Amino acid sequence: MIEVDRLEKSYGLARALKGISFTVQKGEVLGFLGPNGAGKSTTMKILTGYLLPTDGRASVAGHDVVAESLQVRRRIGYLPESTPLYGEMRVDDYLRFCADIRGVPRGKRTAAIARAVELCGLSRVTGKNIVELSKGFKQRVGLAQAIVHEPDVLILDEPTSGLDPNQIVEVRKLIEKLGSEHTVILSTHYLQEVEKSCTRVIIVNQGKIVADGTQASLLAQSPQGALLLTVRGPEASVLKQFHELLPAGTPVVVTARSGSSLDLRVEVPAGSVPIDEALARLVVKNGWDLLGLARERASLEDVFRRLTLASEPEAAHA
Amino acid sequence: MRETFVVMRRELVSYFVSPIAYVFGALMLGVLLYYSTEVTLVQGARASLDGFFQWLPFLLLFFVPALTMRLWAEERKLGTLELLMTFPVTIRQLVLGKFAAAVVYLALLLVLTLGLPITLGAYGKLDWPPVLGSYLASLLFASSFVAVGMFWSSLTRDQIIAMLAAMVSLFVLYQLGNPQNVEYANEWMPAWLVDVVSSISPHRYFVSIARGVLDSSHLVYFLCFCGFFLHANALVLQARRQRG
Repeated sequence: MIEVDRLEKSYGLARALKGISFTVQKGEVLGFLGPNGAGKSTTMKILTGYLLPTDGRASVAGHDVVAESLQVRRRIGYLPESTPLYGEMRVDDYLRFCADIRGVPRGKRTAAIARAVELCGLSRVTGKNIVELSKGFKQRVGLAQAIVHEPDVLILDEPTSGLDPNQIVEVRKLIEKLGSEHTVILSTHYLQEVEKSCTRVIIVNQGKIVADGTQASLLAQSPQGALLLTVRGPEASVLKQFHELLPAGTPVVVTARSGSSLDLRVEVPAGSVPIDEALARLVVKNGWDLLGLARERASLEDVFRRLTLASEPEAAHA
Repeated sequence: MRETFVVMRRELVSYFVSPIAYVFGALMLGVLLYYSTEVTLVQGARASLDGFFQWLPFLLLFFVPALTMRLWAEERKLGTLELLMTFPVTIRQLVLGKFAAAVVYLALLLVLTLGLPITLGAYGKLDWPPVLGSYLASLLFASSFVAVGMFWSSLTRDQIIAMLAAMVSLFVLYQLGNPQNVEYANEWMPAWLVDVVSSISPHRYFVSIARGVLDSSHLVYFLCFCGFFLHANALVLQARRQRG
């Protein structure tokens, strides 16, 4: 549905995109992650035809975003960052304008608007001026505007930024609903958002893609989570025995002591065999009590931090 | 065509749902009618609209920039321009739609001043064809101001700067065609040069057509003048897509 091939964009001397390539299949919900200034918005602006790329190509539904910009724009619904709307207009007038300008035929217009209003839960506010709405409702108007013409592709730039937690949950639910009918690209800082609503994740940093895959495949790349144990026994000998069992250099940290029990955190090196069983047996064999054993879950957040912080020193020289 | 119309309609609606259209219209009509009735009804005993058409260009100089300053600058500041430019419409359609909305609005204001000639006609003998010709000329004249004001609005996101730049450039254009200046320039500049420079000014044509002389060459002039600035406007927007 979307093909991006070595896309580059420079703003004056600043290179915002340094050759980004990816494809999105029909029906995918793609999460675009990255720190501020990574190139997420720039990519989206090029796909929607607002900006022209400096180099490289991109196409939506087989139409080139530069040469056949109007064709592409007909197939896209776009919610820019910060949700720009005409505040002085009424919600229904605004949606009618959006339907008209996108060429929704007159006969289908009323139904199309009704559908967008229904999907976005706007029926209570259709007669209100946009400027009077809360931020959450404005965001919904922005989404309704993007879907009123039933586009093949939805491009949402930080659809939940600036909303309160309840509104975030609502908008996220809405995006999930929309994801079942449209191909969606959304950008975000919130990793939970990607974990909840996206089928695929692309992490960009400094104009380049640093990771591309499903959540599972990205998590697999990260180190295994640490093991957390609570053991009742003499600290010195527990640590000594642990170090003997584990591969040399494996960090074992006592995170808390209460009475005679110790909370231990064992960083398991990536790619090593699972050792939770062996540690449990060791504790029992020595006659200590094993009060708890848990595995810290690796999160997308770890992957994100690792990938986007790793190249930071390079930026300092650039 | 349809897209241009949709853009125009939204623009017009936004004039009339906010107080802008009313405040602006009342102010402009008030000032215009006050001065022109004073000239026509109090000072002169003739049934003519000379005073009205004498004042109009001067008023437009201040009012049109105030009307056009927000056309692009506001959209850029609010970010709505980004969304507007991702709708399936060409830049040309956007420019024409906005231009048409401002022209329709000004046409409406002019129609509201028809009370003046109608009153005059009721009390004296008014020669209607030149009056209507002058009205048409006024609209063309006002349109050329809109094209200039809109162009400046596309260059900045600051409305005040857009307004001041439009006022200054319209004032310069106005002075280029001012008969007194032309006469003065003729004393020390070659006549052909004076002619070329002054022929840029919409004011030069307004003076003659306000008397009811509407020539097809005037029509061509106003089309070219508006076309030039609207095209420049489209180029500015296009360049911004390129540059980001």
